[in-house]
Amino acid sequence: MTQILIKNGIVFDPINGINGEVMDIAIKNGKIVESTEIDESKAMIIDARGKVVMAGGIDIHSHIAGPKVNVGRLLRPEDHYLTNKPHVLPHRRAETGLTVPNVFRFGYEYARMGYTFVVEPATPPIKTRHTHEELNAIPIIDKAAFVLVDSNWIALDLISEASTELLAAYFAWLLSSTKTLALKLVDPGSDVAWLIKGKGIDLDDQIPGYDLTPRDIIREIGNASQLLRLPHKMHVHCNRLGYPGNYLTTLKTMDIVREIKRVDDGPALHITHVQFTGYKGDSWTTLRSGGEDIAEAMSRNPYVSLDLGQVIPGRPATTMTADAPFEFVLYHLTRWKWASADTEVETAAGIVPYVYRKRNYVNTIQWVIGLEVALISRDPWRIIPTTDHPNAGPFTDYPKMFAWLLSKKAREDDMRDMSQLALKRSALPSINTEFTLYDLAVMTRAAPAKLLGLEKRKGHLGVGADADVAIYDIDPREVEISKNYKKLIQAFKRTWLVIKDGVIVVKEGEVVKTIYGRTYYAEPVIPSDLEKEVKRVLEKKFKEYYSITLDSFIINEEEIRNPVKIKISTQLTR
Amino acid sequence: MSAFQHPLGTNRFFVLNTGRTTMQAISMESETKWSTRYFNSVAILEMNPEDAKELGVKDRAKVTSDYGSVVLPVKISKRLPRGEIFIPMGPWANFLIGPDTDGTGMPTLKGIKVRVEATTEQPTTLEQLLKQLGAKGLEVYMEDLEVKPGEKKVVENVVCSFCGDLCDHLKIELDGNRIIRNVGGCAISVSKFLNYHRHRVLKPYIRKNGRLIPVDLEEALDKAADILVKAKYPLIFGLSSTCVEANEYAIELAEILNGVVDNTSVFCHGPTALAVQEVGAVRYTFAVAIHLADLVIFWGCNPAEAHPNHIARIVMRKGKYVKGRKERKVVVIDVRKTPTAELADLYIQLEPGRDLEFITALRMAIRDLEIEAPKVAGVPREKVLELAEMMKSARYGVIFFGLGVTMTGAKYRNIVGVIRLVQELNEWTKFGLLPMRGHFNVAGANEVSLWITCYPFATDYARKFSRMAIGVTSATDLLASGDVDALLVIASDPVAHFPRKAVENISKIPVIVVDAKWSLTTAFADVIIPAGFVGIECSGSAYRMDGVPLRMKKVVDPPSGVLCDVDILKKLIDKVKARMGLGR
Ligand code: SF4
Ligand SMILES: [Zn+2]
Repeated sequence: MTQILIKNGIVFDPINGINGEVMDIAIKNGKIVESTEIDESKAMIIDARGKVVMAGGIDIHSHIAGPKVNVGRLLRPEDHYLTNKPHVLPHRRAETGLTVPNVFRFGYEYARMGYTFVVEPATPPIKTRHTHEELNAIPIIDKAAFVLVDSNWIALDLISEASTELLAAYFAWLLSSTKTLALKLVDPGSDVAWLIKGKGIDLDDQIPGYDLTPRDIIREIGNASQLLRLPHKMHVHCNRLGYPGNYLTTLKTMDIVREIKRVDDGPALHITHVQFTGYKGDSWTTLRSGGEDIAEAMSRNPYVSLDLGQVIPGRPATTMTADAPFEFVLYHLTRWKWASADTEVETAAGIVPYVYRKRNYVNTIQWVIGLEVALISRDPWRIIPTTDHPNAGPFTDYPKMFAWLLSKKAREDDMRDMSQLALKRSALPSINTEFTLYDLAVMTRAAPAKLLGLEKRKGHLGVGADADVAIYDIDPREVEISKNYKKLIQAFKRTWLVIKDGVIVVKEGEVVKTIYGRTYYAEPVIPSDLEKEVKRVLEKKFKEYYSITLDSFIINEEEIRNPVKIKISTQLTR
Repeated sequence: MSAFQHPLGTNRFFVLNTGRTTMQAISMESETKWSTRYFNSVAILEMNPEDAKELGVKDRAKVTSDYGSVVLPVKISKRLPRGEIFIPMGPWANFLIGPDTDGTGMPTLKGIKVRVEATTEQPTTLEQLLKQLGAKGLEVYMEDLEVKPGEKKVVENVVCSFCGDLCDHLKIELDGNRIIRNVGGCAISVSKFLNYHRHRVLKPYIRKNGRLIPVDLEEALDKAADILVKAKYPLIFGLSSTCVEANEYAIELAEILNGVVDNTSVFCHGPTALAVQEVGAVRYTFAVAIHLADLVIFWGCNPAEAHPNHIARIVMRKGKYVKGRKERKVVVIDVRKTPTAELADLYIQLEPGRDLEFITALRMAIRDLEIEAPKVAGVPREKVLELAEMMKSARYGVIFFGLGVTMTGAKYRNIVGVIRLVQELNEWTKFGLLPMRGHFNVAGANEVSLWITCYPFATDYARKFSRMAIGVTSATDLLASGDVDALLVIASDPVAHFPRKAVENISKIPVIVVDAKWSLTTAFADVIIPAGFVGIECSGSAYRMDGVPLRMKKVVDPPSGVLCDVDILKKLIDKVKARMGLGR
C-alpha cells in the first residue's frame, strides 16, 4: 500500500493537543503512523507548507440517505435542473441536485469540503435496508445511521410493561439488526399521536393508547442507553419543534438528564438542530431568540451536547423529518407540496420544500438562534455546527457557517441584508466572540468523533487513527481569518487535498477518484438469557404488529458495503 | 402500416379497456407467452351479452382501432357494462393501441375507441401478429431445466418475486432442485415457483443470418458490448423484475454509454410519480392500514386477481384498533365489476375515462360545496355524497389505486386530483394513498433511479448527466419515434407491452435480451443472455409497493452456466469500459 508523508503542514489536532504546530503526518496502509515507519524514498511526499492540516471532518447530523431523502428527490425535480455536473469517467460519476442531491454529489461534495464521515440521523427501522442501500451507494465518505425509536409500539409496550433491562436488550437487538449506531428520538411520542390523531404532543402530554408522556419515554430510553453504555446515548429532536415558545420545552428536555440513572460520564443526551427548538415568544410576530437561555442552560448542565441546525438565509431548503405533525403544520404555511409517510408501527415522516429569506423576520431570528447558542456558550466540545441538511440549509454551505463562527465581520456583512427589526431584538449583533481554527477543528473533528465514541480511530491525526486527512490552502499566519473570512470560505469549500483511508481522493478541490468508505454500527453485548427473552417477546410482537416477518426485518452484514461492527460491552453483562 | 378500413355495418364505437388478469399471470408464469395456454388467456375479448347479441357476435369478433385490427375469441360476460369491451394486457391488446403518450410517457391503455364486428375469420395468431410487427425470427428454443430429486428441505420466510405485495411468509419445499410446494403464496406465486424450471433460456444465443445460434457466454457478452458501444444512443429498459443491485448496474451502464435508461413504471405508475413531483404524496405502510384503517378503498385496481394475497393480508387481518374485516368498510371504485368489487360494501361504477370528474366532485363534496349535476361520471350525486361522508368520518382511510386511475382519461392529472383529495381529507381525519404496484420490484426500480439520478424513471445521459423529459426520454416515446439505435432489455418484455409502432421500431435496431424465460421480445433479439430468477435462484433486494425493502432469497442455485442479472451486468460493464478505454 502507498505510503504518504505530509510535510510541514500547520496541524490542528485537538484530541492530541496540537494547535497549529508545523509538523509532518505519515500514512501507511490507510493509517496514521510514526514518521519513522515511512520509507521516504518510496513514499509520496506532499508539501503542505503554509497549509492547514486537519483530520477528515465529521458531520453528526445530515439527512443523506433513506426513504425521506428519496421522496425529497422525487418531490423536487426543480431542485435538480440547474445543478448538473457531467461525469468524468472512470474517476467521477455524474452529479445532480442541491438540497436533495444524488448519492454521488453527497459523497463528492462532502469530500471536497474535507469531510470524510457523515451520519444519517433518522432511519425508520423497517425501511433501514433502504437507508443502507443509499449509504452503500454514497462514495468516499464513511457513514452511520441513527435508528428511530420514540414512537415504536414495541418500545412503548416495553417501557409500559417491562424492565429497563428488557428495553435495553430490545434496543441492542434493534441496533444490531438494523446495523445502526445510536438511538434517535424525534418529537418523542408524537408519531403515535400523529398516526392515531393526526397531531403532535408536548413533553408532558399523554401519548394516545399509553399511560406515558414524552418525558417518560426520554427518561426510560435514556436509562436503557446508559445500561447499554452506548457511546452516543440518545439523539433527541425536542417536542414542539417549530412552534414559538418551544425553547421552554427544550430547556425541560435538557433537564431530564437529571432523572436519568447515569452510568457513564459524558453527555447523556444530545439535542439536535437546537435552532428549531430555540424559539422564545408566543407567536411568529413576537418571536425572539432563545439562544441565550439555551446557552446558559448548557453551562449549568454538563450532561448535554447539541448541534445547531444553523439556518442559511437566502437558500432553498427541503425540510424532512420524522416529525410528521410539524411538517403538516409547515405545509399549511407554505401551501405548495407536502409528502408524508406513516410507517408501520414505528414512526412517520413529512417533507415540505421551504426557502429561507434574508429579509424575513422569522428567518433572521432563526439564523440568530444557532449562532447565539454557539457563540454565547463557547463550548466547542459540546456544540457541533450543522445545518441539519437539508432542513435549515444545504450542507454545502458549511464554509459560510464556519465564517460566521470565526469572524464577526462575516456576521456583520451578512446582517446588512437581513431583517433589522429581528436583529434589533437580538443579542447577536453585540457578541464579539470569534472562534479559532483550533476551535473549528474541535467542533468539526474532535468533538463529533468523541460524541460518536469513535475518537480512537476518527477525528484526529495521532498514530493509529484512520488516514482521513484534509489539507486546506490557507495559512493562518498570513491570513487574518477574522478580517479576511472569504479566504476561509474559499479554502474550506474546496479542500486542497483530501486523503481517505490513505488514498488521495481530492486534489485542488476536485474529486480525482471514486472509492467507497465504511458503515459503522453498534452491537451492544447482552447476556444470553436476556437475549432469549427479548427474542420471545419479538416473535410475538412481530406477528401482532408488523406486516413483514421478523426474518425479513433483520439486515445482514453482507447487505452493507464495508461494515464495521462496534462491539459494546454493556452494564448488563457485568 | 396500412390505413385500416372502417368496418361497415356498425357505426357504434366501443370502449376498449385492457388490464391484468390472474389467468394471464398464471399462464405466463407456468407456460411462457409462447404457449397455447397464454394464447387462451390473453387473446380474448370480453363483452356484454346484449352487445354481442346486437352485433350478432357468437364465438369471435374483429376489433379495429385507428392503429390496427385483430380477430379474437369472445367471452360473454355480464361484468361488463354495455358499450365496453375488455382485452387482457398483451400483444393483441397492444396491436390496437396508439403510440402517443400525450407527454406522459405512457400510451393510453384504457378507454380506447374501437369498433367491433362479427366475423368468420380465424382469430389472429401470435405468429401472425409478430410477423406483422417485424419479428426477426419466430423460433424459440425453450428448455426445461433438469430437476433432480435430492436433498429435501424447506426454506421459510421466502419472499415472493411476482407482484408488488412481496409476500414474505412463503414456505418453499424443495426436493433437490425441484420446488414441490409453495405454502403461503397465491395461485400466481405457486405457478411461478413450481414452474420456475420450465421453458427456460438456458444458453446464450446470437442471431446469425436471421437464426438464433447458441454460443458461449463470453461471445454473447462480447457481441452485446459491441452493439452497445457502437450505438450512439442506446436504451436500457426493463428492470422491474430484477433486484435493486441490478438496477444500480443498469443505470451505471447507461451513464457510461451516455444513453438512456427507463424502467417499466413508465407504463404503470409513471403518471403517479409525475403527480408526486407536482403536489406530493400521503403514504402509509401495510401495518398502518392493518391497525388503523376502518375504510379501505380500491380504486381502479383489482387486487383479487392481480395481487391475490393483498386482501387477506390487509383487509381481513386483525389490527390493534380495527379488528379485521368486520370493522372495516370496503369501497371499490372501478369501471367494471371486478372480483374485487364483489367483496365491497359499496361499489361505485364509473364511466370509463371520467375519473377526474368524479375526483373533482368528491373534493367539492368534502368541502360541502354543492354539486349540481344529478350524475357525475355516471355516478348518482347521492353516492358521491355518501362516499364523501364515509371518507370524512373514517378514523383512518386508505386508498389503494391502480392503473385504472393512472391510465385513463386525464392520466397524471387524475393522480394529482386524488393526491389533493387525500391531502384535503387530512384536514378532517387521517387518510393515505398507495399505488398498487405490479412487478415485484417496480417500486425498487424507481427508488434506485431516484438515488442515482434524482429521477424515478426515463433518465437520459446524453449530456453526461441525468435528465428526465417525459414524453421525450421515456421508452415508449423513444421507441415510437425511432430515436434510439440499440436496446438492452433486462427482465422485461417490451414487445408484449408496447404499442405497435414502438415494437415495429424495435424490429429495426439491434436488441439484447437478458431474461430467464422466452419472452416475446426474444423474437426481436440479436443477442439473448440467459439469467437466473431473482427471488428463486438469485438473492437481492426489492421494494414492496409501500416502500418497505425486503431481501429476496435464493432457494436454489441458478442453472449451471447461467448467471444472475447482477453478474451479467457487471461483466457487460467491464467489457464496455474496456472497449471505451475506461478501465475498471
Ligand atoms: S399476492 Fe403477489 S407477492 Fe403475494 S404471493 Fe401472490 S403474487 Fe406473490
Ligand atoms: Zn434532522
